[in-house]
Amino acid sequence: MKMQIQGETLRISEVKELGAANSNDFRDKARAALTGEQKNIEIDLSQTMFLDSCGLGTLISLHKTTCSRNGMVRLLNPTPGVQQILELTRMHRIFEIVKI
Amino acid sequence: MPGNSAASPRSVILRLSLACNLAEVRIAAQTVRGFLAEQAWLPDELMAFDLALVEACNNAVKYAGESGACQPIHLEVISEASQVEFRIHDHTPGFDWPEKIELPEPDSESGRGLYLITSLMDSVSYFRGREENLLTMRKARPVQGEVAPPESPYSLENYARKLAENEHVISEMVEELSSCYESLSAIFRYSTDSGKAGNLKEFAQRLLQDLLQIVDAEWFILRLIPKGESKLTVLAASEPAMELEPLTFPTTGKPSASMEMEAAVSRQRVWFDAQRPMLADGPLKKAKPGSAGLVHPILLGDQLMGTLTLGKAAFQNPSLVDGGLVFTAGQTNVINTFADFLAIQIANARFQEEQFSRRLVTHELEIANNIQRSLLITSLPQLPGFSLAAFCRSAHEVGGDFYDVLKINEHSLLLVIADVMGKGIPAAMFAAILRTLLRASPELTHQPAALLERVNRLLFPELSGVDMFITAQLAFVDAKDRKLTVASAGHCPLAVASAAGVKTFSPEGMPLGILPDTTFHDETVELPENCRVLLYTDGLTEALNAEGHYLGQQPLMDWLKRASASNQPAEQLKQELALELEKYQANTVLNDDQTFLIMSG
Repeated sequence: MKMQIQGETLRISEVKELGAANSNDFRDKARAALTGEQKNIEIDLSQTMFLDSCGLGTLISLHKTTCSRNGMVRLLNPTPGVQQILELTRMHRIFEIVKI
Repeated sequence: MPGNSAASPRSVILRLSLACNLAEVRIAAQTVRGFLAEQAWLPDELMAFDLALVEACNNAVKYAGESGACQPIHLEVISEASQVEFRIHDHTPGFDWPEKIELPEPDSESGRGLYLITSLMDSVSYFRGREENLLTMRKARPVQGEVAPPESPYSLENYARKLAENEHVISEMVEELSSCYESLSAIFRYSTDSGKAGNLKEFAQRLLQDLLQIVDAEWFILRLIPKGESKLTVLAASEPAMELEPLTFPTTGKPSASMEMEAAVSRQRVWFDAQRPMLADGPLKKAKPGSAGLVHPILLGDQLMGTLTLGKAAFQNPSLVDGGLVFTAGQTNVINTFADFLAIQIANARFQEEQFSRRLVTHELEIANNIQRSLLITSLPQLPGFSLAAFCRSAHEVGGDFYDVLKINEHSLLLVIADVMGKGIPAAMFAAILRTLLRASPELTHQPAALLERVNRLLFPELSGVDMFITAQLAFVDAKDRKLTVASAGHCPLAVASAAGVKTFSPEGMPLGILPDTTFHDETVELPENCRVLLYTDGLTEALNAEGHYLGQQPLMDWLKRASASNQPAEQLKQELALELEKYQANTVLNDDQTFLIMSG
């Protein structure tokens, strides 16, 4: 997992999986990386092969964090499997899912 | 390589045990993924299985608690040509499977696991036992090489294929039904049975004897809450010695002394075994010491119907002594099904009972009506110089109005009018008894007060025993002397109308059946030429009009006064008064019997 800050946005990439075993850790690290500057979080899901309900919970928790800063969570290039889970749970209505 | 392998025509099984923690779950899921890839499941499917399996195992970890966390989760994956089945068997307290699985609010951070499982799999079942739960998930394999046929979707081949598919699904379902649920056939058998046999006790006895066999238990006690009572009474038990005393519901706040009451009050299952032994002073402990088992509350919706207790001897079963399972998850599930079924049958039986008693009441009223009708004489004896007519109209519910006319000799009669306070057969029976007693005392017919005293003495024990009483009025008429002797037992006044006006007479006297030794008084009334005599029941003065007002006594007397001016015989006056009453009560329902005797002469 890699994190970098670009102005108002925290970019997270190289996420292999986001599930019960690591999602709390993922959330805490992301929150810790946010300084007062950032209001958006971009998560690159192009390498994410696994996402479960706990992972979804973490994404929603980060979504709430950015909302309180008047920002948003953007999900980039999800793999087809992850995209399917996001759609199945109607998450595409909450997050901006971007394919670049 | 998954692409090179083909689905095995036989079932291939993978069994795994894993520690109850999240890290182990991911590792196990990867092992399963590898196994299923070898069974030629496609990458998309593998991903769905992976996720469903992880969600299922994570749930077990989530609800493990302290005791469950140190017990392994057993995993069984059965891959077949047509489907894959996952069985996740954990030793945790488990959770309640929701009736409806829906997505939570969009901003909720949890609650999507079961939704994912049920969305990704074709069928999911959860069997919750005590410290042991089984979750099974199934998914069918898409038919190999399935390509959308180029021809019309309505082609014969298409239908035949769909039919074959459906048949396959149906045969699988039938197989599952017949093999998995022994209870099912029993229940079908009993539900037809219960329609015939009205005896709930026998029915429950047979049903629960079967349940003992199915779940491998040794004894049972079924307690029900009788209607309108707040206690648990034994309806059926596996042996007569187990038909224990009823248990009364404790006053709020007090702990109950029995496990059955505990289950009834909490509406939760109460288990007992070596770790949680039976309450020392509880009735079960005395009847079956050293048992292990459970008390299952019987609920119909929100309504508590009773409790079902099943047990077996713990000391003969070493695994139970070591804290093993009393009933497996599957057995608990069967107990649950039987308890639900019993609840429905009990409710049914009670409903039928109520219907029956309602029919009985209707029938009783018919009988009472018949008795009352048979008491009223059809042709009235007449006196020289007088005419006599009688009227009796029954309200819907039978009261106890009746009249009688006894011919004493050529020139005298005894007029009787009475109102038994009560309804149904008892009221009609008392009217019949009164009539007989009056007719059985010819020596007293010319002394109405003495006759009432005698009748009161004879009837008092019976009347007071059922909290009933009778108002009555007797009038001995002597046509030769033109005199009338009247005595009353708390009845409406007797009215005499003549050219001089209307006079009412109500000699003192309590209704019959109030006191054992009541004194009554005779009052002698002269009957002037061209007079009218009216004896009536309170149904006349209490006639209600559409505005809800009583007729009252005065209008009745006014009518009588007018009637005395005309020169009509009693029969015509009777019809006139009946018509007056009908007019007054237009558009109302008759609320009480209306009876009167009218004499003209």
